[in-house]
Amino acid sequence: MTACQSPISDGTLLDYWARDLSDDDETTRVEEHLFACGDCSARLHEMASLGAGLTTLVRQGRVSGIVSRALLNRMQRDGLHVRMYSLTPGETVPCSVFPGDDLVVTALRADFSAVESVSMSVMGPGDSPFSRIENVPLSKPDDELFWAMPAAVVRQMPSMRLELTLVSADATRAELGRYVLEHSASTPPA
Amino acid sequence: MHTSVDSSDGDLARAVAARQHDDAGAAENELYRRFAPRVRLYGLRHLRDEDAALDLVQQVMLVTIEKLRSGSVREVDQIASFVLGVSRTMVKDQKRLEWRREKLRETFMLPDIVAAPAGDAALDVDRLELCLGRLAERERIVVLLTFYAERTAGDVAKELGIKEGNVRVIRHRAVERLRTCMTSAEATPS
Repeated sequence: MTACQSPISDGTLLDYWARDLSDDDETTRVEEHLFACGDCSARLHEMASLGAGLTTLVRQGRVSGIVSRALLNRMQRDGLHVRMYSLTPGETVPCSVFPGDDLVVTALRADFSAVESVSMSVMGPGDSPFSRIENVPLSKPDDELFWAMPAAVVRQMPSMRLELTLVSADATRAELGRYVLEHSASTPPA
Repeated sequence: MHTSVDSSDGDLARAVAARQHDDAGAAENELYRRFAPRVRLYGLRHLRDEDAALDLVQQVMLVTIEKLRSGSVREVDQIASFVLGVSRTMVKDQKRLEWRREKLRETFMLPDIVAAPAGDAALDVDRLELCLGRLAERERIVVLLTFYAERTAGDVAKELGIKEGNVRVIRHRAVERLRTCMTSAEATPS
């Protein structure tokens, strides 16, 4: 086999895999090339493997950070056990993780009408930084932001108070809400 | 003719078609090794299901070998196009596929070449989890929406309130960063 003389770009391979090519003719052209070319086919395989690995991680509940509503819906449809806590600005909510949970999601409600993206800081005991997430795009017209943590990680956490602050990600850093999670450590099985 | 990994697709197809005693088996194995991963990717892309994609591989390769053996492939130099055409036909008609699978298995059982092609089992998901955690928040959301939730760039753009072109740029950059991280010595999970 000889090396590919006219390799398909990574961008085109990615568009092909994500069903984003502009028309059927282009899809046909890419598929004909892929079937005749081991190099490009191997590159697509590598890309597809990454995608399969990401799917495995999600299905195992190994996702941290902000998730969109569509992702959350898909996870629940796939049978993930999602423990959800919903908070409005100024609210304190007790929380924990329970046997069988795969993912713990905190839904933070706020008025996002005037912002395009937000940043979030989470402070632990003694104002110690616990997590910081910058510049998250917002799903409009949602009035909730979903913060996910793997249940396996939460199970390892001691009881603690977490203070969450949402601000706009623009230069104003306008505060959108403060929230408190009173986390109780899960009791190990007897 | 001596068949090897250096033989062209056409040479391999010709060896199978000629049914030369010494070469045909090796040529069939090499054709399978070469095309099975491409058919699997095609199946994954169009069926989004690993089992269905592996079924497709079995059927397409069985039909291809059978057609070559019987001399029904007129242009053996265009064997890649032939395999693609068979793949298309089979994906379009799942019910017919089921019927043909049983029929062909009864007729042509080729135990030395029907092993499934390598899947994605070799991917180190622990490392991938670490690499995913290193992406910027919007990169992480975009790759998860793309690969796990199977959303097009247009869908993701609507979901996140950003432009479709931006989604493609973010997606491309995120995949590159994941690839680099996956091969980096730094990203070894503790």
